[in-house]
Amino acid sequence: MPSIISDYNYWIYILLMMIGLYAMLAKNNLVKKVIGMSIFQTAIIIFYVSISAKEHATIPIIAHHGAAEAAIDVAHYANPLPHVLMLTAIVVSVGTLGVALALCLGIYRRYNSLEEDEIQEQLQ
Amino acid sequence: MIWQLDLSILTLIVICAFATIMVKDLLSAAIIFGAYSFLMCLLWTEMGAVDVAFTEASVGAGVSTVLFIAAVYQTTRKVGVRKSGRLLSKAVALVATLLTGLVLLIAEADFPDFANPFTPASLHLSPYYIMQTLHDTNVPNIVTSVLADYRGFDTMFETAVIFTAGLAVIAILRRFKKEDRCDLPEPYVISEAHPDTIIRFIARQLVPFIQLFALYVVAHGHHSPGGGFQGGVIFGASFILLAISYDFKMVLGIMSERWNILLGNIGVLIYAGIGFLCLLLGANFLDYSVLSKVLPATDKIMARSHGMLGIEIGVAIAVLAIVISIYFNIVSRGKYDKGL
Amino acid sequence: MDIVVIMLTVIGLFSFFATTVGLLRFPDFYSRMHAAGKGDTLASLLMLLALALYNFHEVNLANLLVAIKILSIVVFIFMASPTATHAITDAAFESGVKPWTKEPEEES
Repeated sequence: MPSIISDYNYWIYILLMMIGLYAMLAKNNLVKKVIGMSIFQTAIIIFYVSISAKEHATIPIIAHHGAAEAAIDVAHYANPLPHVLMLTAIVVSVGTLGVALALCLGIYRRYNSLEEDEIQEQLQ
Repeated sequence: MIWQLDLSILTLIVICAFATIMVKDLLSAAIIFGAYSFLMCLLWTEMGAVDVAFTEASVGAGVSTVLFIAAVYQTTRKVGVRKSGRLLSKAVALVATLLTGLVLLIAEADFPDFANPFTPASLHLSPYYIMQTLHDTNVPNIVTSVLADYRGFDTMFETAVIFTAGLAVIAILRRFKKEDRCDLPEPYVISEAHPDTIIRFIARQLVPFIQLFALYVVAHGHHSPGGGFQGGVIFGASFILLAISYDFKMVLGIMSERWNILLGNIGVLIYAGIGFLCLLLGANFLDYSVLSKVLPATDKIMARSHGMLGIEIGVAIAVLAIVISIYFNIVSRGKYDKGL
Repeated sequence: MDIVVIMLTVIGLFSFFATTVGLLRFPDFYSRMHAAGKGDTLASLLMLLALALYNFHEVNLANLLVAIKILSIVVFIFMASPTATHAITDAAFESGVKPWTKEPEEES
């Protein structure tokens, strides 16, 4: 695989992270900020998963079909360690999403608006 | 690892990410975010990360979209325009983003080659896991064995984090008094939802099979992609389907709030309880091989496999209860009287 | 067997293409939902059937099991996708989305 393809992959992951970061900083609406946080989290997850990918490798489930102690070729299976870390990351991210949306609901209940500048005006 | 497929899916993902933050309607943003999650799941399957893709499909594309729509339903759908200081805030955010992106791009020059089997991440510890998991634990799914056995501590605290998130949502939103001083305005729904025969019938027919599939995913996690989290989320999603197609009160009759919180506690208790049982039997915390003294007719290797199944069941029960609890709290804004 | 698989895949691909063109070109919400609901279900059925048949390079129990699992996915899609289309269209009708009518020709 030519190296420009490998670089291009990483550039797109960085672009996705920056889209998420921009949405968290610049957007006015609170739910848009939460969406930006989710985009950032999934961009980091895809970066980790891309580390674990191997060329001509299959999924990390050992196909043993009854052969007891056949030699297991390490380069034949994708690296399972980042998958484990990212499983935890996805589940934690949905918990964070639930709490973030509950906070948005609480803020709307108190200030009757989801826009950042209106809330800051009411705070002063 | 087909790089042409990689690049085309990545282009679609970037377009979806742009679209979901630019759109002026929050409901459309939630739906496009669901499409973005599905495309991510497709990309991860193509890279060989099937367990991660399964979790993202059930959690990210399923439950996350429903939670977004429930939150938008309770607040407001339109996105307002910033009144003053629009250009300044956008300029500052753009500068900060460009600087961070530049630093990351400079670091990117040193990254290892994409899809190379000999990157440093694949050379030190993961060959041990790949080669030894069948010999140590008799479980072919390497991700499940690393998650539940070799790195069991992480998973226990991850379950605790999910439980804490459920508690936090209850603490923020739950209101017990019928009339409240600071209460949300009524949702903007245009007409009353009338009972629809087709949707109710299909939902009633499908829910048992969805729950059976969820139990299958939990039990078959040793040999195929799956495990505790995915099964628990699918089971919780079946209750959310019932709540959307029927009335909210009807699902509260099936799974009351008290049972919900109790199930969440029982899940975490099963996990930590198995760990303590191993401690009581004389080995380390969460060292399942000593369970062969308690379980009949198993040796040390099969005891590890059964211990993993036990904690996966605990995780599934905890996740199921918490997903239902978070959905209930958000969609009924804490009052548990009426909802979607 | 390979010919059948390729034919089914190509017809499924054509169905997906027709669905997308209909989604973009129809003038009205209801006709678009019509295209999306029918085309999606049919195309998914054809492509999943092709995958289930592709499995049968050698006929043994494991491959039969995989084919049965794929067919149960097809049954699920057949039940769930038209219901979803019905739900969306019903919600639109209750919200007052009016069907598109052709403008009457003006007398010149």
